[in-house]
Amino acid sequence: MPMHTLKAFDDELEELRASICEMGGLAETAIRDSMEALVRHDTDLAADVVARDARIDALEADVERRAIEIMALRAPLADDLRDVVAALKISGVVERIGDYAKNIARRVDSVEDSRIEAFSLLPEMARIASEMVANALDAFAARDGQKAVQVCERDQAVDDFYNSIFRALLTFMMENPHNITPATHLLFIAKHLERIGDHATNVAEMVYFADTGEHLPDRPKASGKRASAASRT
Amino acid sequence: MTEIPVQSAVETTPFTGTASGQPIKIDIRNLDFYYGKTRALKSVNLPIAAGQVTAIIGPSGCGKSTLLRTLNRIYELYPEQRAEGEVLVDGDNILDRNYSLTRLRRRVGMVFQKPTPFASSIRNNVGFALNFFERMSRSEAEDRIENALRQAALWDEVKDKLNASALSLSGGQQQRLCIARTIAIRPEIILLDEPTSALDPIATAKIEELIHELSQSFTIVIVTHNMQQAGRVSEQTAFFHLGELVEFGQTSSIFTNPTETRTKDYITGRYG
Repeated sequence: MPMHTLKAFDDELEELRASICEMGGLAETAIRDSMEALVRHDTDLAADVVARDARIDALEADVERRAIEIMALRAPLADDLRDVVAALKISGVVERIGDYAKNIARRVDSVEDSRIEAFSLLPEMARIASEMVANALDAFAARDGQKAVQVCERDQAVDDFYNSIFRALLTFMMENPHNITPATHLLFIAKHLERIGDHATNVAEMVYFADTGEHLPDRPKASGKRASAASRT
Repeated sequence: MTEIPVQSAVETTPFTGTASGQPIKIDIRNLDFYYGKTRALKSVNLPIAAGQVTAIIGPSGCGKSTLLRTLNRIYELYPEQRAEGEVLVDGDNILDRNYSLTRLRRRVGMVFQKPTPFASSIRNNVGFALNFFERMSRSEAEDRIENALRQAALWDEVKDKLNASALSLSGGQQQRLCIARTIAIRPEIILLDEPTSALDPIATAKIEELIHELSQSFTIVIVTHNMQQAGRVSEQTAFFHLGELVEFGQTSSIFTNPTETRTKDYITGRYG
């Protein structure tokens, strides 16, 4: 794409993009570290994840300030306008993703028994969710609508994981009421990961819109046996 | 169950029909324009909707002012300039030499970039064309003058000094006076050639508000370099480049999701 006649405008858009990418990187690391803390029952690492969330929040405020400044001073139009609006919205979503990672980290202390069967599914689920976040932000950095579509397509895998974990934990709780507390914590963690997948999908949808000016057509809604825990809870 | 087709919120309308679905007031068909041997407009086809504001944008030299000059045949003052093709106003080809110029000027008014008041009183400025085109009693003329000044949102500022020289008014007032002079004869179409480029932001806002008001009664075509202005005042926007109509559609579509790369590069400031 040709440069703007006003080069400073290009620089500002680039800085905005860079801030979003930094936020994404931090959120991705937060998801990975919170899961590692969970698996290793490392409460220090968990506390670290919680502490680092402040940086994501600060970046969100920074993106908001810059985006408003660009709108006020540069009056962006067409793809520039869609880009700035997407950046503004994406920063809010990534901040939420950071919060989910923080919430997972906060539960590390309460989940001691990693022998629960469903527990073993969480790291893989987290890996996919975290990759979705990374890929959605890569798509944003590259202004690549097609790459964004691929991110949306992966969300089903995360939902499927959630449904499996939900069923497994339900059975586990029915076996013995003493399992309810640890199982509920795990269920929440699975839910957080499922929401992270949804938010990564939202980011991807915004990237698609920024790139093409069109909204992604609605994905087919879960039906029949897929009218599942993921869509009900 | 029949599926209801979902229409994309952002859609650029192709060249057929007006972008808004309104009836066509001015139908420009295969219009070419020549300054001597230079072809300044190239096979332009543009339907302009009745009772709406259509903005013409594009870089300098793209033909937008030429287009405006064609719509009232003002170019005929210069022998080496000529237009080919058709400009149908309610079906009448106004480019036809047999089409009376007086009748055309009656139907199509124009306001220029710089205010062009006559060196005469405010009253005479507005009444001049009235006297030229119509015979009416003095009191009727006074009413028409007042009405035009009110419509141009100038009345309150000048009602106590109608005999003062028009040149004593500020730039913004002078431009509104020119608009009053234009609408006094009740034309159907108003052409505005960069009407606010010489005005400060407040005077500009007043003119823009006025354009909005006037679009209830007139078909308006405005040429502007100011993209934000085109966005604020118009329903349709046409983008010209090197004498060609590159893109024409709803203003909201053109400024959020233009179809053509040339349009996008121009409105986002990547041109040249």
